[in-house]
Amino acid sequence: MSSFFQKIFIMIRKLITYLTLPIIFIWLLITSFNSSRYKPDSAMELLTDASWLYDWPRWLDLPLMKWINDWFKVFNKKYGFYFEAINDFLLGAILSLKKFLIVLPWPLVIALVVAIVFFSSGRKLGTTVFVGICTFFIGFLHPRFWDKAIETTSIMIIGIIICIIIGIPLGIAMSRNTRVRNTVLPVLDLMQTIPSFCYLIPGIMLFGLGAVPAIIATVIYAVPPLVRLTDLGITLVDTEVIEAAEAFGASKKQKLLGVQLPLALPNIMQGINQCTMMALAMVVIASMIGTRGLGDEVLLGLQQLNVGKATEAGLAIVLLAIVLDRITQAYGKKIQDRNKPPK
Amino acid sequence: MKLINKLLAVTAFSVALVPGVVSADCGKTRLADFDWNSANVHTGIVQFVLEHGYGCEVETTRGSTTPIMAAHYDSQLDVVTELWYDNIVTAYDAVQAEGIIENIGINTPDSQQAFYVDRTTAEKYNIKSVLDMNNPEIAALFSDPEDPDKGRMVSCIGGWTCYTINAVKQRVYGLDKFYTNFDPGSSGALAAEIAGAFAKDRPIFTYYWAPTALMGKVDLVRLVEPPYDTDCWGAMMDVVEDMKANGADVYKPTCATEYKDMSLDKSVLTAWADTHPDETAFLRAYSIPTATVNKLLAFYEGEADGDMELLAIEYLSNNSEWKSWVSADVAANVSSAL
Repeated sequence: MSSFFQKIFIMIRKLITYLTLPIIFIWLLITSFNSSRYKPDSAMELLTDASWLYDWPRWLDLPLMKWINDWFKVFNKKYGFYFEAINDFLLGAILSLKKFLIVLPWPLVIALVVAIVFFSSGRKLGTTVFVGICTFFIGFLHPRFWDKAIETTSIMIIGIIICIIIGIPLGIAMSRNTRVRNTVLPVLDLMQTIPSFCYLIPGIMLFGLGAVPAIIATVIYAVPPLVRLTDLGITLVDTEVIEAAEAFGASKKQKLLGVQLPLALPNIMQGINQCTMMALAMVVIASMIGTRGLGDEVLLGLQQLNVGKATEAGLAIVLLAIVLDRITQAYGKKIQDRNKPPK
Repeated sequence: MKLINKLLAVTAFSVALVPGVVSADCGKTRLADFDWNSANVHTGIVQFVLEHGYGCEVETTRGSTTPIMAAHYDSQLDVVTELWYDNIVTAYDAVQAEGIIENIGINTPDSQQAFYVDRTTAEKYNIKSVLDMNNPEIAALFSDPEDPDKGRMVSCIGGWTCYTINAVKQRVYGLDKFYTNFDPGSSGALAAEIAGAFAKDRPIFTYYWAPTALMGKVDLVRLVEPPYDTDCWGAMMDVVEDMKANGADVYKPTCATEYKDMSLDKSVLTAWADTHPDETAFLRAYSIPTATVNKLLAFYEGEADGDMELLAIEYLSNNSEWKSWVSADVAANVSSAL
């Protein structure tokens, strides 16, 4: 009996789902027609004059632009204050990191990078020397690049930290709940495909010019691979291993922290690596909204038609990418080797 | 064929005789338009008046400066409604000397480039000139979040000549002690920063230019600088060019002056002007103040969403200065078409 009611209930729900979309669509058609300035004089005109079938008629125009503009105006006025607080906080973080890194003498920074690579790669000499040389060449290309590279790196580090804070929990939630996954996946697709200028310009109006809108843009662009790879890593953990953990009476939390996350770590590190690379791709675009760093050297070269300058700065960005890539990659590899069952 | 032509001529003649009807002797007029908004505004208005006031059959061609001006020099386009004369003086004067084209005067009295402060702040602290800005208390109003000891002067786009010009001006005026010369990175970002400041009622000190749509939407006060002087400008530009080539370290003290306000002109083919005296008289008289152009640009980009006809109707119905540019019956024709 209850299954009968359930069936009816499901049917009603389906009906509602199938009906709402056409209703919304028709409502959109009517509102766009009503708000249009180019309405035909009468419906008869549409029958006698068929030209609207050849060229897209001007009255068939969704006023989305106006809606967004009106909404954004009110939103900015009402909540702009909060965004300024976020701006001050993030900018403070970037500035203090930058100040700390810039004060250090450059040979010490290179030595630090070399030490980090040496230990994170499991004492691989080849990689370490290569990364050391790359770091040296950033300043060697142009003395001015050194400080700019540090500025870019501080922005990147803050950006990646935000990515990790948002991305990994989201990835875990996705792997545990199909409904979360079904809602998050299209949002990730949107974040990866929407042109960055669409959110850069409102970003400036909310946060003001400079590094913070660039970081927000970087996070929007770079967080999807991290979310996807965290989800994938956890989903890929062997069911037998999980069953074994369950057999030992592990709670959900123990299972996640003790089994799933450690086994998914190589994938998560790959995600962080991808995240870093994509963040670097945003550097030049970020400089178009007044962010200081290596990107504005490329932009300057472009605007002065100075091929040499643009290429030199472009190479410096590539070198920075190599350094960050080696560090994250090498660490991921090391974990992977450690996780491998002994032969 | 000849018979048809004759018949047509007779009909045209008889139509012209009927009073109150638009005269059909204007014929086909080829209007030049450019791919920036202020040119669209003028072209839209001129096209509307020529079509509905004089009965011209107007054909508009839009393009960038080089191809459109080349077509105009080559007698392929009759009327140019916005001519950036100062930018193309040499090429233009050569063709004008041959008698092919004629510069028929101003369409917008001045295009401005200057430093601006939002009106609220300017009135509250009585800021009138750039020198009024040389005050640590005023600099604190515009505090630069990335360099909190200084104020932020949002400048021109890095790599453009105006960025270096602003850098030199800052040092000459002594502003560099109190303000950063902040590179917004792109013109879109610069406009967004100004619009954002107004949306949040935040003080802003910025470089900008007019006629622009943004200027029609926000209330910025232009700061007074030493009046334009050719010799001083030349001396300053020498330093600017040197700095652009060799970096900021080669700065030498120089004098500084405001940006020259460039007037935007109109141009016609002399052959067209000879056969269209009434239309040419209208074009000669045509001139819209910069403030109105700013407002029109804001309307054109906003509500009209790029519809040039709608813009022309907006201007012609809400202003009356244009009625003195044309004869009474032409004005009546235009008014009845609104």
